[in-house]
Amino acid sequence: MSDIGKVRLRIPSSIKAGDVVQVRALVIHPMERIERDAQGKIILKNYNYINKVIVTYLGKTVATFDTTQSVAENPFFSFTFKATDPGQLKVQFLDTTGGRYEGTADITFS
Amino acid sequence: MSESHVMPRRAVLRALGALGAGAAAGALTLGAPVRARAQTLGQNESVEDAMKRLFGGKPIKDGAAAIKLDLPLIAENGAVVPVSVSVDSPMTPASYVKHIYVVADKNRIPVVTRVTLAPEAGRAFMGANIRLGETGDVRAIVEQSDGTLLQVKREVKVTVGGCGG
Repeated sequence: MSDIGKVRLRIPSSIKAGDVVQVRALVIHPMERIERDAQGKIILKNYNYINKVIVTYLGKTVATFDTTQSVAENPFFSFTFKATDPGQLKVQFLDTTGGRYEGTADITFS
Repeated sequence: MSESHVMPRRAVLRALGALGAGAAAGALTLGAPVRARAQTLGQNESVEDAMKRLFGGKPIKDGAAAIKLDLPLIAENGAVVPVSVSVDSPMTPASYVKHIYVVADKNRIPVVTRVTLAPEAGRAFMGANIRLGETGDVRAIVEQSDGTLLQVKREVKVTVGGCGG
C-alpha cells in the first residue's frame, strides 16, 4: 500500500474566465471499516480513514467535506468552483492518523 | 545527619512522582479528545438518532423541487456507490447552500458526509463514492444559508453489502 495518499485531480482541458468548473479529485486510501470480533463487538482502535477534505482556490476555501467510514475505499470527491482568476486549486485530504495528502492544479484560461 | 539527607531525597522523589503522574494524565487527556473529535460526525447509531443529533428538532421540508439526487437504482456492489447531489441555488453571498449532508439510513454509520460550501463554489454540487450496507433509503439534506432544511430521499437496492463488519 505504498500508493496511499496518491492524489489525482481531473479538471476540464479548457476553462474560460467566469466558468463554473467541475472537478473530480481521487485519492488512494484504504478507508478502513469498523472491525468486529467473534462476539460481534466493535474493536476499538484508531481506524485509518479520511475525515476531512479541504478544497481551496486562490487561497480561499471553496468546499469542505467532513467524511466518515461510510465513504468508499479509494474515494473520489467532485465539486465545483467558479474560475474567476488564474491561480492554484488545491485539494487536501486529512486522515485520522495525521496523514495529510494534497494535490494541486494550476488553473489557466485558454 | 543521615535524617537530614533522607528527607530532601524523599521530597524530591515525591515531587518527581507527582510530575510523572501529571504528565501521564496530560497524555491521557490529550489522547481522548483526538478520538472524540474523529468520532463526532460518524457514530454507530440509528438514523433517527443521527438526524436528532445533527438537526435537533428543526423541521425538514421536502426539497424535491430544488434538489437533484443522483444515485443508481440498483447497486450491485455496495462497496462503491457513486452519488451526486446538485441543488438549485443562486450561490450568492446573500443566498447559498451552506451544507449538503448525505445520509444512508441502513448503514451502521448513517452519516456519510457533510459538505460545507462557500458562495465561491458557483454551483451547489457535490459527488462522492460511498458505501451502502444494505438496501435502504439514501437521503440528501440541504441546509441553506438562512437555515432552512430541505430533504430528498431515494431507495437504493444493494445486491452485495459494502460495509462489512
